[in-house]
Amino acid sequence: MTILTDASVAVSPTALEPAAITIEALGKRYGTGPLVLDNINLSIPAGQFVCLLGASGCGKSTLLNIIAGLEKPTEGAVTVASGKAAVMFQDAALFPWLTAGRNVELALKLRGVRRKDRWGDALELLDLVNLADAADKRPHELSGGMRQRVALARSLAQDRKVLLMDEPFAALDAITRDLLHEELERVWRQTGRTIVFVTHNVREAARLGQRILLMSSRPGRIANEWTISDTQTRRIESPEVARLGDEITDQLREEIRRNAT
Amino acid sequence: MPPDARIDTIRIAPTNDPSHDELRRLESGLDSLQAVPDTPHGAFRRTLDGVLPPILLLIALVAAWQVYILIAKPRPDLIPGPLDVFGALASAWSSDRLQLAVATSLERGGLGFIIAVVIGTPIGLLLAECRPVRRALGPLLSGLQVLPSVAWVPAAIIWFGISDATVYFVILMGAVPSIANGLVSGVDQIPPQLRRVGTVLGASRFEMATLVVLPAALPGYFSGLKQGWAFAWRSLMAAEIIVIGGNIGFGLGTMLDQNRELADLSGVLATILAILFVGILVELVIFAPIERRLLRRRGLMAAGLR
Repeated sequence: MTILTDASVAVSPTALEPAAITIEALGKRYGTGPLVLDNINLSIPAGQFVCLLGASGCGKSTLLNIIAGLEKPTEGAVTVASGKAAVMFQDAALFPWLTAGRNVELALKLRGVRRKDRWGDALELLDLVNLADAADKRPHELSGGMRQRVALARSLAQDRKVLLMDEPFAALDAITRDLLHEELERVWRQTGRTIVFVTHNVREAARLGQRILLMSSRPGRIANEWTISDTQTRRIESPEVARLGDEITDQLREEIRRNAT
Repeated sequence: MPPDARIDTIRIAPTNDPSHDELRRLESGLDSLQAVPDTPHGAFRRTLDGVLPPILLLIALVAAWQVYILIAKPRPDLIPGPLDVFGALASAWSSDRLQLAVATSLERGGLGFIIAVVIGTPIGLLLAECRPVRRALGPLLSGLQVLPSVAWVPAAIIWFGISDATVYFVILMGAVPSIANGLVSGVDQIPPQLRRVGTVLGASRFEMATLVVLPAALPGYFSGLKQGWAFAWRSLMAAEIIVIGGNIGFGLGTMLDQNRELADLSGVLATILAILFVGILVELVIFAPIERRLLRRRGLMAAGLR
């Protein structure tokens, strides 16, 4: 397995780029209940940062879990070209009985990294999220933002080309979230991973995504999508983000209104 | 991917990027702002906080007892004073009966408890991880936990006669359900997210059990062990009171019953105190330190208990 280290791949994906994730005619329902996801077709090029946006209950987390292989689709197929994907959840879900360093190390162990290399690699990964000094701290001694950074380091430890993130910053305060946006973007540019980022925060999507997919609710479909051609770092307060955010919010509200009885 | 694949991606970190340094400083600043300040008490202070209140209460209770004896002057054979009871305790000590009884009971209780752990743990694991077994055996085990294990004494005497086997059988019937149920509830209380993380990280079934499920279930399992010990100790006392004679040794329960036959209330109360004291000692010396360490490492300790 080769790893994308070429930054240009991450910054300027084109249609020629091989698809990292392909979703074809995907449908999902639980038992005999209503359709949760309906006919989702999607091709995500390698190295793209995709934000999946929608109101609560639109099935965006379900879609992410299906891509992650945690749930099975009812119809259709999902192909992740590189095999399995790394996943990061809203709750950092660190193992409370292990220190931050050991949490990252466990991911390396389960990946099959040799024992003598593990601790050094874990420290390097923690340093990547600026937490090398916190390696010996236990999760409950860390702030919410630090826990999420450890979780990010842990998912990077899996060394998979695709990183799926399920509202990872939703529970954080605005200042911390803002910093983590920067951190994540930097890690993404550095490692060239394909990221699918689920959120219900329009500004967050407009701040981070190269491509934003808006999902409708009940059943979940891809209602619209935006591609941001300017790949420079955007600040969340910037007028571009605000303008894009307004546009997306209008559509999102339209989708929500359709569900009124 | 070869098992020894190294992470290449993280070695390309540009260190000369000024905006990255800026971000690092920002993050460090925020981290130190959000860090929970640690206010450790010294070990001496902690011990003092833990030991002083119960000792003061004990002194107050004994004093109230003595005052009652002095004022009401009850019949000493019905309500002995603290001095009589401590006298009985001292005479049992000087005749070596107390030491013998404590040693015999502790040995039986400890051995019985260890056997119960060895039997209860696999049963608990099986129940927690295997749904059909759980449906079939779960209610029975919960029922056994409610059933006083003394109820098994008559049956055990018929099966095993007046012997140590009877005592151990009663201990097991008391402790095994608690230990198994503790492990089951420990496993049930594992946040589902942790298992999902295990799956996402690619853990095999065995790795999931040893690296995720067992450590995550440890607090629940441990409280099951504690309860198991309490049940074992209680069952043992009940069994020793009832099962007397034959080649059975001299335990605290036996001593209690002997004192009753002699109508020696001071001796009875002294033995009760000894039983209570052993129970408290085991809790304080063995279980409490392990539990405190276990919970503190996971951040599960309430601030007041630190």
